[in-house]
Amino acid sequence: MSTPLLSESSNQGSLLSKITLWRTIVVLILGAGCYGAYARFALGLHASTHLTDGQPWGLWVGLGTLCGVGISAGGFAIAAAVYLLGFERYRPIVRVSVLLSFLGYLTVVIGMMYELGLPWRIWHPIVMWNRHSILFEVSWCVMLYTTVLSLEFSPALVEVIPWKAFRDFYLKWHHEILVGLVMVGAVLSSLHQSFLGGLYLLAKGKLDPLWYSQYLPTLFYLSAVPAGLAASIMVAYLCMRSMNARIDPIILTEMSQVIAPLLYVYALFRGIDLCTHGGAAYIFQWREESLLFFLEIGLFVVAPIILLSQEKIRTNPQRLYLTCALIVMGFMTNRLNVSVTAFERTSGFHYVPMWTEFALSMATVTAAAVAFHYAVRYLDIVPKNPPTKKWIVEGAATA
Amino acid sequence: MAKTKAILIDITKCIGCRSCEQACKQIHGFPMATEAKLSPTALTVVEDHGDRFVRKMCMNCQDPACASACLVGALKKTELGPVTYEASKCIGCRYCIVACPFNVPRYEWTKLVPFVKKCDMCFARQSKGELPACVEACPVQASIAGWRDDILEEAQKRILLDPKYVKHIYGSEEAGGTSVFFISDVPFEKLGFGEVPTQPMPVLTANALGDVPTVVLVGGSLLAGLYWITNRRKQVAWSEMRETAANNASGKTERN
Repeated sequence: MSTPLLSESSNQGSLLSKITLWRTIVVLILGAGCYGAYARFALGLHASTHLTDGQPWGLWVGLGTLCGVGISAGGFAIAAAVYLLGFERYRPIVRVSVLLSFLGYLTVVIGMMYELGLPWRIWHPIVMWNRHSILFEVSWCVMLYTTVLSLEFSPALVEVIPWKAFRDFYLKWHHEILVGLVMVGAVLSSLHQSFLGGLYLLAKGKLDPLWYSQYLPTLFYLSAVPAGLAASIMVAYLCMRSMNARIDPIILTEMSQVIAPLLYVYALFRGIDLCTHGGAAYIFQWREESLLFFLEIGLFVVAPIILLSQEKIRTNPQRLYLTCALIVMGFMTNRLNVSVTAFERTSGFHYVPMWTEFALSMATVTAAAVAFHYAVRYLDIVPKNPPTKKWIVEGAATA
Repeated sequence: MAKTKAILIDITKCIGCRSCEQACKQIHGFPMATEAKLSPTALTVVEDHGDRFVRKMCMNCQDPACASACLVGALKKTELGPVTYEASKCIGCRYCIVACPFNVPRYEWTKLVPFVKKCDMCFARQSKGELPACVEACPVQASIAGWRDDILEEAQKRILLDPKYVKHIYGSEEAGGTSVFFISDVPFEKLGFGEVPTQPMPVLTANALGDVPTVVLVGGSLLAGLYWITNRRKQVAWSEMRETAANNASGKTERN
C-alpha cells in the first residue's frame, strides 16, 4: 500500500494548497457537529432538539438509526452472496460493502450516545432484560451484529500489522470462523432490520394508516435489502471514480438486476398491504401525508423501476449511481415518513428538527465518510489500478 | 391477575376545584402552580371542556404498552395494579412515550439528567393501604378508589341506573382494559378522549417476537444448507478439474 502514501508526499506543497473545497466542507460540518454535541450534552435535549412528548423520536432516530441500519443492509447481503451462495464474481466488492455496513453501524451506535437521554447507561440492556420488548431485541441484535461486522472487517486491519506470526495466526483463525460469522450476521441482520419496523407496531392508532401495518417488520426488511444494495453500488462507484479502484462495471450492472426485482417484490407487497388493511383509501385524500407518500413511492419504487429497466442506465456506472441515489433517497423518505410524518396528525404537533439535530447527524455521517475514505486509501478494501503514468512522472519530478 | 386496585372518575360529579392536582403536586414535591396539560411536574391535571371537567392521568393499563416497550424493564405492572417506573433502570430511549396509546408519559426535556414522569396511582401509599393522594383530596368524591372489580361494578351500576350517563365505561375495553375508569354524561370523543385500540397493546408485538425462534432456526438452516450446496459444488468442480487434468496428462503420455 505504498502507492497512496507516495502520491500524498508528491503533492506536499505549502499549507494553503492543502485547503480544498471538500476539506473545507468537512471541517465546517464537523465544527457545526461539535457545537451540536456541546448543545446536546451541556445544555440538554430541550436546547438542542425540537423533540416533544408528541414527537419523542425525531431526526436522530428516523435518520440516524432507521436509515443508518437500513443502508448498512448491503454488507450482510453481499457477504452472504459470496461466502454462502458462492457468487464469486461479487468478491471484489465484499470488503467495501462490509466496510460500509461496519461504519454504518458505528454511526448508529455513536448516534445512540446523543439520542439516548441517559447515554452512560447504554449498557443496561446487557444485564436488564425485558424479552417482551422489541427494542430489547433490537439492542441485542445491534450489539451482536456490530461485533460480527467488526470481526468480518478485522482482517483488513490485521493485514497491515507488522508482526507476521500474529497476522498469520489471526488470519488463519479468522478464515476458520468466517462462514459461521457470515451466517450469524445474515440472521441477526434480517431479524433486526425487520424489528426496526416492529418498533412501530405498538403505535397502532397513532401512526397514519398510510404507513401503519401489522406487516411493518416485513416491509422494513423488504425495503432495506434493495436500499442496502443500492448504497453498496454507490460506494463501489465512488471508489472507482475517485479512489482508483479496479472494479468491473459489470458487477454493478448485475447488482442492479438484483435490485429491480427486489423493488418489484416490495411494491407488490406494499400495494397488497395498503389495499387489505384499508390504508389505500387515504392515498388520494389530498393531505400533506399523501404528498410525502407519493414522494416516497416515486423515489423508491416508480422511478428506479423505470430507470433500471433501461439498458443504457444499467450499463452506465454513472447513471446507475444516480439511480441508486434515488433509491437511497426514497428509502430515507420512507423511514422519515414512518418515524415523523405518520405521527403528526395524531400528535397534532408539527416537528421540524432544530439545526443542531441536523448538525450532529451530518457530522456523524461525515466522520464516517472520512473514515471510509482513509480506510479505502490505506487498507486493502478494493482491488486498485496500478498507478498511472502521469503520477509516475510527477512523482519522479518531486523525488 | 389477582385483585388489583383501580380508580373511577365520574365526570358528572367533578366541580373543577383542582384539589386532586394540588394533592398530587404536594405529595411529589412539585411546584404548586397550576398547569394546563400533563407535564413532568403535573402528573394529573383537570382539563376544562366547556362545562365539564376532565381529569387526565396515567390509565395504569392492565397490560401496559409502556411496560412491554421498555427494553430494560423499568416500567412494570405491579401485582397491586399500578404501573410503576424504576428510574434507576431507565436509559432514556423514550420508547414508552412512543408506545403509550393515551399519550401520558412525560419526559424531562429540559433537564441534563432526564427521566420519564407519569402517575403510578400512588403505588407507595396504596401498598400501605392508603388511598391515592388525588382520590383522598377529592371533596365531592368525583374520584373514588378501591379494588378493580368493585370499582367496575360501581361504575356499571351508575351508568345503568341513571339514564344521563353515556353507556360506556371508558377504560373497560380501551387498550385491553385499564385501572382508571371514566364515566360521563357527554360523549367521550367530545371531551378529548382519543380512540384507542381495544386489544391489549403488547399483543401487537407478541407475534413478531414469537417469530424470532422460527426465523433463527429456519433462516440458519437455510443458510447452512445453501452453504453446504455451494461447498459441495466447489468440491465437485475441483475433483472434476483434477480428473480431467489427470486424464489429459495420461493421454499425453500415451500419445508420446
